[in-house]
Amino acid sequence: MRPEQERAVEQLLEKVEKPARYTGGEMNTEVRPWDEADLHFAFCFADTYEIGMSYLGMKILVSLINSLPYMSCERVFMPWVDFRAGLMERGIPLFSLESRKGLNEFDVIGFSLQYEMSYTNILDMLSLGHVPVRAADRGEDDPLVFAGGPCACNPEPLAAFFDAFQIGDGEEMMVEFLDTLRACRQEGLSRNETLMRLAQIEGVYVPRFYAPEYHADGTLSAFRRLDGRAPETVRRRILRNFSDAFYPDTFPVPYTDIVFDRIVLEIMRGCTRGCRFCQAGMIYRPVRERSMDRIIALAERLEAATGYEEMSLSSLSSGDYSCLKELIEALMDRFQDKRVSVSLPSMRVDNLVKQSLEELSRVRKSGLTVAVEAGTQRLRDVINKGVTEEDVLRSVTDAFESGYSTVKLYFMTGLPTETLDDLSGIGELARKVVAAYFAVPKDRRAKGLRVTCSASVFVPKPFTPFQWAAQDSIDTVMEKQRHLRDCLKTKGVTFNWHDASLSFLEACISRGDRRIGEVIHTAWQDGCILDGWSEHFKYDTWLKAFEKCGLDPAFYANRERPYDELLPWAFIDMGVTQRYLQLENERAKQGVTTKDCRKGCNGCGLQRYEGMCRV
Amino acid sequence: MKIWLTMQKGARIRFIGHLDLMRTMQRALRRSGLPVRYSQGFNPHMLLNAAAPLSLGMPGLREIIEVPVGEEIAAEAFQARLNDALPPDLRCVAARAVADEHPAPMALLRAAQYLIELDEESPGAAACMAALPGMLAADTLPAIRKTKTGEKLCDVRPMIYEAQALGPRAICATLALCEAGTLKPDLFLTVLAGLAGAEKPDAFITRMQLYALKDGGLTRLEEA
Repeated sequence: MRPEQERAVEQLLEKVEKPARYTGGEMNTEVRPWDEADLHFAFCFADTYEIGMSYLGMKILVSLINSLPYMSCERVFMPWVDFRAGLMERGIPLFSLESRKGLNEFDVIGFSLQYEMSYTNILDMLSLGHVPVRAADRGEDDPLVFAGGPCACNPEPLAAFFDAFQIGDGEEMMVEFLDTLRACRQEGLSRNETLMRLAQIEGVYVPRFYAPEYHADGTLSAFRRLDGRAPETVRRRILRNFSDAFYPDTFPVPYTDIVFDRIVLEIMRGCTRGCRFCQAGMIYRPVRERSMDRIIALAERLEAATGYEEMSLSSLSSGDYSCLKELIEALMDRFQDKRVSVSLPSMRVDNLVKQSLEELSRVRKSGLTVAVEAGTQRLRDVINKGVTEEDVLRSVTDAFESGYSTVKLYFMTGLPTETLDDLSGIGELARKVVAAYFAVPKDRRAKGLRVTCSASVFVPKPFTPFQWAAQDSIDTVMEKQRHLRDCLKTKGVTFNWHDASLSFLEACISRGDRRIGEVIHTAWQDGCILDGWSEHFKYDTWLKAFEKCGLDPAFYANRERPYDELLPWAFIDMGVTQRYLQLENERAKQGVTTKDCRKGCNGCGLQRYEGMCRV
Repeated sequence: MKIWLTMQKGARIRFIGHLDLMRTMQRALRRSGLPVRYSQGFNPHMLLNAAAPLSLGMPGLREIIEVPVGEEIAAEAFQARLNDALPPDLRCVAARAVADEHPAPMALLRAAQYLIELDEESPGAAACMAALPGMLAADTLPAIRKTKTGEKLCDVRPMIYEAQALGPRAICATLALCEAGTLKPDLFLTVLAGLAGAEKPDAFITRMQLYALKDGGLTRLEEA
C-alpha cells in the first residue's frame, strides 16, 4: 500500500464502527515477511471478522498454508458497510490484515463457502479488492480465485466467479493444490494449462472445462466436458488419516469479542446417524475419530499458546465419540487447576448425558441445547432423527437436576410430510419440558426456568435424501409459524423463528444451477450485500434479480424434482451415492427409519472405499 | 509483592478498548505462567490495576499496570517472560517490584504528557500552532467540559502543566489526569482552536508519559 493510502486508511479507521476488525496484529498471527514467500495466499471469509475468526476451518487452513515454507497466507474479511464505503470513496483496495496488501496483489485467493446467503459478499470482496469478479474476465496475471468448504458440494451457482473449487477435506488437498500451482508457475504454464493441471488433483473442480445444457422446461439436459483431459466425475477428497492430520498447535487470539472465543478441538469428523435433512451428516462421511492422546496433546499445546480459559470439543455429534467420558475426565484432570472449562456443544440427547454433564459442571455451568428437529415421533421417523420424547425429557430432567435452568430446543418447520399436528407436537413437548422442571423439588433445582424454542425453516440441500423435495412456499411457512406461535404461548417458553424469505432464497441458491450465478451477480450489482444480516437483507431486490434473469425462484425452491431429472451437482461423487439417497428418500416417505451405521453397514456408498469406514 | 509494569501500546492496536486490553494482558499472563495472584471467591480473577484507561484510538508509550504476584520474582525476569507471551504491538518496556503496601498507580497519578500531531491538511493547524504562546500566557481559560452530569463551564488553565511546540505541526502538552480534574488532550485542542479562531484540526495523539506528584513537582509515575 502506498504511504498516502496508509494515511487514508488510518483516517478511515477513526471514523468507522469497530475499527479493530481491520487492524490485525493479534497474538499468533505473525506471517512470513512478504518478500520471503514465493506464493501469496489471501484467505477470504465472506462475512465479518467476528464470524470468520470463529470458524475452525479457517484456523486449520491458514495455519496449514503458513506451515509450507514457500507460502504466506493472510486473512481478509468482509468489511462492514461503513468501512466498505470508505474504501470505495478513497479508491483503496480491500486489503489483508497482516501486510495490508490489496487482494489484487495476491497470487491465490481462497474463499471458504459456509452459507449461501454470503455469496454476494464474495462478489463484493473481489470487486473491492480490485479483482475481476468473473473468472472469464481474469487474465494471465490476475490472482487465481478458488473456493472450498461445505457449500462447494454444489459449486454451480458460483461457477462463473471461481477458477476452481476444492471439494472435500482440505488438509491434504490444499497442500497438493499449492504444490502443483507453484510447479506450474515455475514452468511458466498459462492460466488455462495451470487449471488443467489442478483439475487432475482428486477433489478439484474447474468449471471452465464443463458446460451445462438445458431442456425447454428449464431442467438440465446434459453436463458436458469441454476438454477430454478434465475428469468426467469429480470425486470428493476424503482424508483417510484424520487422527494424525494437520491441526494447528496455536490459534490466533483476537483482541476483541468474536462469536466463539475459545479453543476448539475437533474430536471427530463425520456422523453415523443419518438424519435425512442434514447435509453435513451426508457429505462428511465416513465418521473418523481423532485419538484421545492426540486430542490431549493438542489441548495442552493450544492452552499454552493461547491462554484461553475455555475449550470446546467439536464434532457433528460429540456424544458419539467412542471414549468421551475418558476424554473429558482426562481433560478435566489436566486443566482444572488452570481454571480451564470444557464444553460440549453438539451432544445428542440419547447418550450418557447426565454423566457428562456432571463431569463438565466441575468447572462451570452453562445451558443445555437439544436439537429435537420435529414435534412428533412420526415426523422424527420421517427425517430419521432417532431421538424420542423420552430421550428429550430424560435429558432435560437430568439437566434440571444437575442445576441447569436454561434449555434451548431446536426445531425445523416445513419438513417433508409435515402437518399442523406435527407443529402442535412442538407446543406439547415444550409444555412437558416445563413440567419436567417443576417436577424437580424446589430445593434441588436452579431458579429462573428459561425454555427457548427456535424454529428454523427447512431448506432442502444437495446430497441429502431430501435433495428432490419441494420447500414449502413462503405463505405456507408463515402460516405454520403463526400456528406454532399460538402453540407456544406457555409461561417460561420463548419462541424464535427464522425469516421465511431468507430461507426461500437459500433454497434457490443451494440447489441452483449456473443460471443462478447471474441472479447472484444481478442482485449484487443492484446493491445486495450482507444478506445474512437482517438490516441489510433486500428481498425485493433479489426477486427483481430473478425477474431480470428470466428465472422463476419457485422452479428452484418449491418444485419437487423427479428422480430422473439431471441434478446440477450430479457430476460430483460425494461418497454417498445417488442411489442410496433415493432409497433413503423412499424410506422417509414410508416413515421407515434407518439404523445408525455403527450397528451395521447401510450401504451408503462409502463402503466403496476400502478400509475407510471403521465400522 | 506487586510488579509495576510499564507497557507500550502500539499504534496498530490503538483501537483496542481498555477492557479488551486488560483481557489481552490476562491471557498473556496466563500464557507466561508467571505467579500472578488471583482474587479469592467463587469466580477467581487476576487483580490487574491500570493507572488510567487509554482513550480509544490513542497509543500509549509508558502506561502503568500493576500486577500482584504470589511469590518473589525478579522484575527483569518478569518482564522478559511476559514479553515472550505478548503480541508484537503490546510490549513491556520496564518492570519494577513494589511492596504490597505501595499505593496503587491510580492513586498516585496526577498528569500525563501527550504528543499532539496536527494533520497538515487540516485548515486550522497553522493557526493553532500560532496561538499556543498566547494560550500559555492567559491567566484563565474558560471551557465547557462534558461531565457525567452534563456540561460544565470551568477554567482549564490550572490543568495545563506545560505545553510547547515541537516543530511546525506538533505540540507536547502535560495535562492534569486525576480524580480531582482531568483535561483531555482533545479538549485542550478545542480550547486552542477557539483562541486561534480556527476550525479544530484533526490530530494524532499519543500518550507519552504518566506523572505523579513529588515535592511539589511532577515526577514519572513509573518511578513514584
